[in-house]
Amino acid sequence: MKISRRTFLGGVLVVGVPVALPGSAQAADEFAPNVFVRLDDRGRITVTAPKPESGQGVRTMVALLVAEELMVGLDDVRLEQAHGDTARFGSQAVGGSFSARQLHEPLRRAAATARCLLVTAAARRWGVPVEECAARDGAVRHGRRVLRYGSLVRDAAALDPATVPVTLTPPERWRLLGRTRAGRVDAKAIMTGKARYGIDTRPPGTLVAVVLRPQWIGAVVDAVDDRAAKAVPGVVAVTTLDPATSGQGGVAVIARSVPEALRGREALRVTWRGGTPTADSRQWLADLETALPAVPTAPGPVAFEATYKLPLLAHAPMEPMNATAHVTAAGLTVWTPTQDPGTLRLILARQFGLDQAAVRVETALTGGSFGRRIEFDPVLEAVACSRVAGAPVSVLWTRDDDMRHDSYRPMSVHRLAAVVDAEGVPTWRAHGVATWPLNILPFFDNPDIVKANGDHFPYTVPGQVDVTLRDAPLRTGFWRSVYAGHFQYAEESFLAELGHRAGLDQVELRRRLLPADSRLRRVLDVAASRAGHVRPGVTRGVACHEEYGSVVAVVADASEGRVRRVTAAVDVGPVLHLSGVRAQVEGGVMDALSTVSGAQITVRDGRVVQSSFRDYAWARIDQAPDVDVVLVPSDAPVGGVGELSYPPAAAAIAFATGRPVTGMPVGVGVG
Amino acid sequence: MGRYRLHVNGERRDVDVPGETPLLWALREQLGLLGPKYGCGVGACGACTSLVDGKAARPCVTAVGEAEGKRITTIEGLSEDGDHPVQRAWLELDVAQCGYCQPGQIMSTVALLAANPDPDDAEIDAALRDNVCRCGTYTRVRAAVRLAARMKRGER
Repeated sequence: MKISRRTFLGGVLVVGVPVALPGSAQAADEFAPNVFVRLDDRGRITVTAPKPESGQGVRTMVALLVAEELMVGLDDVRLEQAHGDTARFGSQAVGGSFSARQLHEPLRRAAATARCLLVTAAARRWGVPVEECAARDGAVRHGRRVLRYGSLVRDAAALDPATVPVTLTPPERWRLLGRTRAGRVDAKAIMTGKARYGIDTRPPGTLVAVVLRPQWIGAVVDAVDDRAAKAVPGVVAVTTLDPATSGQGGVAVIARSVPEALRGREALRVTWRGGTPTADSRQWLADLETALPAVPTAPGPVAFEATYKLPLLAHAPMEPMNATAHVTAAGLTVWTPTQDPGTLRLILARQFGLDQAAVRVETALTGGSFGRRIEFDPVLEAVACSRVAGAPVSVLWTRDDDMRHDSYRPMSVHRLAAVVDAEGVPTWRAHGVATWPLNILPFFDNPDIVKANGDHFPYTVPGQVDVTLRDAPLRTGFWRSVYAGHFQYAEESFLAELGHRAGLDQVELRRRLLPADSRLRRVLDVAASRAGHVRPGVTRGVACHEEYGSVVAVVADASEGRVRRVTAAVDVGPVLHLSGVRAQVEGGVMDALSTVSGAQITVRDGRVVQSSFRDYAWARIDQAPDVDVVLVPSDAPVGGVGELSYPPAAAAIAFATGRPVTGMPVGVGVG
Repeated sequence: MGRYRLHVNGERRDVDVPGETPLLWALREQLGLLGPKYGCGVGACGACTSLVDGKAARPCVTAVGEAEGKRITTIEGLSEDGDHPVQRAWLELDVAQCGYCQPGQIMSTVALLAANPDPDDAEIDAALRDNVCRCGTYTRVRAAVRLAARMKRGER
């Protein structure tokens, strides 16, 4: 990486370093700083969090990386949230469990550069060798002499960074990264009700809108009678949204307040045409089963074959989808919870023919994303409404809207077959998958891409994976772990069944199929040892996963029909934030519990049946097991963790229920 | 339209809305109290949970007319500076992920501990089962309720 640039602007030291974008061929001599650490002459440290917070802990990670290298406490670093600007901040997308891998090195380097400049400035002022000076607690020290950072900022900014060697603090000397028990930086604001989410952002004079959405999948507005709606007190305007340009289409009621907008929506009379008013998710599943690829010719007799059927899933973040937009003659400003403010800005500029400089995208905290907020449909609705109203408009999706107009995790059907040796250990495997692409992104309309995304089989069993895609009959999108959540759930469920039939211990079976020196076998051993012996009356499931440069092994114990304890051993390379890594693993386990124990989306008569947490059976606290996360550090490069635990936790929990596993949820009709 | 006199977080606050207006929107849109969160609007998720006369209630399904004359406490009114034992326990165990459901989880816990200073796990589960967390913080919530109970009893 090229040496960092520093600038001196009115008493402020700014260090910017480039974040290498995945797959980009940035020329070595090209310099584009896009993470920034600033120190002012009062010693205040500010860092821009380039990516939005969805609860995955990215803001805390950013602050920790900077505090570590600047030798200050976590509380000494002030965070600013970046607005959307890819030219300035690089990729601002959160997804693919990528943020830690992408940001840890450049952020440490930016902060370490600032530290080395400050130490050099102090050494010169004292006329002593740099090696005799050290930075600690916001100051540079030499013997008993102390210079606060603030007093060194001007000198540091005048140095030529090319002459100052930059050294990163090695992991064994970290004070905070992987060590501190500190919680997330936004915790106090959250606990006191002061945290602001997208839904809380309403500039003065903002109107609100709710949308009457297509009454069945693909329906478009035929005729609107809005006389009664417009007569509702507080309703300002009614407008039809064009699905070609304004999200998913429908009729928006714009009013002064949410209750008035909702009353207006109730008073609308709309007729619909087109679409698929008779669609039924049971039929979709049957169609996928028919589309399964043929089992390839096996090198021996097939010992066992099984089929697994997986349902639609909704994201259902606790903060429903929403967006606020203000269209003016000068341009467009948007406030919205999003996973990618940078791309959103580019898309808005392109779609509305605006200069990028005329588009401002602000993002606050986000009440959960899980893949849904990679999409921008509420923003396009808000823009359309603001144009009509000539004022800022905040579009609120009701929970019913959010659940019935999601971009769902696709259904899938899996057929697995295996040849086994005399002991019942598989020696060959075949996995046929029939599913849908993620139709929000054309890139995924390709079986090879879907296979590459989903197939992470970690064991030493040769075999074949074939994927057939059928057109998705409704909107489909990214859902935590994406296709690995389908493929590896089926693979691990099948392996568990093979082991069960052969009377093999589930841990021992997997140990035999993993190289002795592999990271995965190490975490499997740790998880098994931590979980201990299986007690009487307990059924146990075991599964592993390797992705994002990380590995995890999960052991789930159930008794009396309830999952009691889940043990997960993870190796993510060096841990950056202890509580954050644990939280991500815990979250994946709870998603696994929910989707195995009953949550699914079904479609009848062209309409999603579920409309709230009453019927989308997400797990509640009374189902929650104890979750024991064991961190197994290694010297592997920093890996991702957000989506790591979901696939194996789902398979381990499913097997632990002791019920026949034929798909997801377990023991419930699918579709 | 009617004018309703609410008693919120120790202050008298007047709101000028129809009586059937959900209290949640009066709190959020009229009074600027954004701590109670909109999550479902049908009393099915608990994100807006606040105290009405000391008991956990769902402002999204409580009409302003019904709330008049009652003492309403939102997360903002729980403590001056986040130092209520339940908030301290939540901080110590770093419960929140996205945090959106947590004001509701906290307010349900405050109501639980007022009625039952030493709840066991089954009682915790029963009191909080209608507070949905989509990030999966339940194991930390349960531990934080136990810790808050100890703090409140002065054991911590």
